[in-house]
Amino acid sequence: MKKISVEHLARVEGNGGISATIDGNVVTDVKFSIYEGPRLVERLTVGKTPEEDVNIVPRICAICSLSHKYAVLRAMENALSVKVSPKVALFRELMHLGEMIESHSLHLYYLALPDYVGFPNAIAMAAKFDLEVKIALEMKEFGNHIMKTASGRYIHGENPVIGGFGKFPSIEELIWIKSRAVHFMPFVLKTVSLFCELDYPDCPEDDTVFACCNPDQNKYGFAGDEIILSTGETINKEDYKSLTNEFVVSHSYAKHSRYKREPYSVGALARVNNLGERLKGEAGKMYKKYFNPRWKRNPLFNNAAQALEILYAFERIPKIIDKMVKFPDPPIVKYTKKEGKGTGIVEAPRGLLIHSYEISGSLVSYTDIVTPTAQNAEDIERYCYIAAQKLLDKGEENKIRDRMDLVVRAYDPCISCSAHMAEVKKAPAEDWKAKLAEIKEKASPMFVGVGNRNRSDDGAGVELALELKKLGVCDVYLESELEKHKILWEYKALRPLILFDAVDFKEAPGKVTLLPLNYVMDKTRLSHKILPFISMQMRHKHLKNAYMLGIQPESIEEGTKISRPVRQAILKVLKEIKN
Amino acid sequence: MEKGSKEKLKIGIYELTGCAGDALLILDCEQELIDMFKAADIQSFLMAKSDNIDGELDVALVEGSVSTEKEKEELVDIRKRAKTVVAIGTCSCFGGIQAAFLDKKDWEKNFKKVYGDNKMTHNKPLQSKPIDAYIKVDYYLPGCPIGKEQFLSTFNRILRGHPPELYRFPVCVECKWNENDCLLNKGILCLGPITRAGCGSICINHNLPCVGCWGPVEEANLTSEFHLLREKGFDYDFIKKKMADFSGTGMADFLGELKGEKK
Repeated sequence: MKKISVEHLARVEGNGGISATIDGNVVTDVKFSIYEGPRLVERLTVGKTPEEDVNIVPRICAICSLSHKYAVLRAMENALSVKVSPKVALFRELMHLGEMIESHSLHLYYLALPDYVGFPNAIAMAAKFDLEVKIALEMKEFGNHIMKTASGRYIHGENPVIGGFGKFPSIEELIWIKSRAVHFMPFVLKTVSLFCELDYPDCPEDDTVFACCNPDQNKYGFAGDEIILSTGETINKEDYKSLTNEFVVSHSYAKHSRYKREPYSVGALARVNNLGERLKGEAGKMYKKYFNPRWKRNPLFNNAAQALEILYAFERIPKIIDKMVKFPDPPIVKYTKKEGKGTGIVEAPRGLLIHSYEISGSLVSYTDIVTPTAQNAEDIERYCYIAAQKLLDKGEENKIRDRMDLVVRAYDPCISCSAHMAEVKKAPAEDWKAKLAEIKEKASPMFVGVGNRNRSDDGAGVELALELKKLGVCDVYLESELEKHKILWEYKALRPLILFDAVDFKEAPGKVTLLPLNYVMDKTRLSHKILPFISMQMRHKHLKNAYMLGIQPESIEEGTKISRPVRQAILKVLKEIKN
Repeated sequence: MEKGSKEKLKIGIYELTGCAGDALLILDCEQELIDMFKAADIQSFLMAKSDNIDGELDVALVEGSVSTEKEKEELVDIRKRAKTVVAIGTCSCFGGIQAAFLDKKDWEKNFKKVYGDNKMTHNKPLQSKPIDAYIKVDYYLPGCPIGKEQFLSTFNRILRGHPPELYRFPVCVECKWNENDCLLNKGILCLGPITRAGCGSICINHNLPCVGCWGPVEEANLTSEFHLLREKGFDYDFIKKKMADFSGTGMADFLGELKGEKK
């Protein structure tokens, strides 16, 4: 058993890492952890005034601070029924585009590109891509400049407030920004070609659900009052919890999210997949030229999507400024409401960001914040698992570490890491014993024996279940009894479920492997009709609390004899369960 | 610096719990950053480079507050390896926004509200505290995030073996340099008089009150500010809360003294 991990993914709210545990030929566990300590921001804000909250919550993350500011303002203004003037809305959009440009160009050129062109980091890459690195830095500075103009300083500026802005820029300043934006266009177009034409590996590829804000009037954009999914469904922002379903995982201080119990993705790729048809101008042309169905299945294309969005932003800026200069500077809108409830959703560079508040007696009484990285965590783990298992199947274990690194970085989680701190560890033999003990410690599990007793070792799962029954262990079932006991219908994941089965992992006969059931789902290795049935039943339930204990068969020829190594394995498992 | 890297000071930049804004600001120094890397031997800077070494250091710059057992151990280890430790940013200096729960029971109650009864397997949580709760700190460079000018001048002075020269006066002084009208005179609650200078009175330049994000100025007469604000008609609880938004433990003693005051 080995553990492959990328620890210290630098650059998020501190640090995080990804690890894959490998038992022989099988990936048994993938964990994406945020080591960052708990800050309890959602509780800190309770009892403060809405204005204080607007000061405090962007401090969650310096990298997306303006997206947080934008989201909290939209939420508070909804709650307090504040309507801002068109110039305020335009200036906020401009500020947000600045952050998009800054964040995307930093990620693409400094963090992502070195991997694809074979350099360890951006500084080494500069030897070959001198001009690109320099202009990309200028592009990032330009994004920073817009952010500073709008918010007051590079990071955590306080100029955007409920009801407007403390101060607006001069017309000269706006015109300068517009001319700079136009000036960058040739390089921006080159950026799109560069990142859309990169050779993205086809591993991992799998379907997922994409979610993003649905901007008004059928436009492309980074804010809206509704969430749109790749399934075609839309969700009102106030009902965001039906999408996010946040839950706590023990290995991270960032919560995780699932939609209808399935992981989903947010970010530039989600936006382009869901809204790409709405792109106009050069961005529309480029979308038509480069978009293909692989974008819907491969998270690495997030890089291409970010490049398209930089182009969208550069085309949008001159239009915003042309409108802005026509309006006089509006004063800050005052409000009188003391009670209210409101949600604000925007797209941070790395995906859907949700802020929700309740205000009573002029003070905040409830805060809920859902960040993009929390929503992506489950899909990051899933795609890393798919990549790791596929590479392992191909005998390319040595590539797993770098590939996981590539997947995590493509998601550009606030930890888009510049560090490559992956390590490969051998874990102790017979690791399933420790895992079994861990599962049993949480709650006493239910067991189901699966298999065909007329096909020699394939009967191992049933045999094991029968032996357990003989020993008087409670809650042991056979595949054939499921219907009768309706246990899967009643299964509420309050207790763990362990299936026993003979599984061909291409290991030595008798080897025992214990892994989460959802890691078995898309495998053809399993011989039984029961699995599609189980997976269907459990699809919308709590798959994470269900496991497969697989024993490697020696033979599954016709006959009722169970081979020696498999029999020994059954005895070993019996002993562990009894303990 | 021609004599080779042996002459260069060994420097490490570390991030504990916070928003990573101070490290990001150092990265945003773009042009100067290259000079920094030339002038000093940057041994560790997770956000900027991958070949990081944990060895003996001349200077360690530490961002963020201590919020887990592991961070505490890391910090103690940094102190052992470094001749000089500089706290950078409000979280590191005063605990920052996450240190607003001064009472341990209060913190425990709120931790439960966020994470429920789930056991955290990876890292034991601690109530957020500034780094000087656990180690001796040589210099404090405040800011939320730190300011570019003050950071570069501090970095330069340390490189030459001098203590940093930080503003020891409040934001009001910078505000006067910038010829702003006093917002307190207009009846707006501004924390300028008790907040450390260095930001260039940026909020007041934008017609907005100071929120106190750089933490309390060393010699501030907090009680007098409190009474002044009371005279201006602001609510007792509101002033108290506002003064503690960013200052964490920096306000602890003062808020303790206030307990006897009439509402």
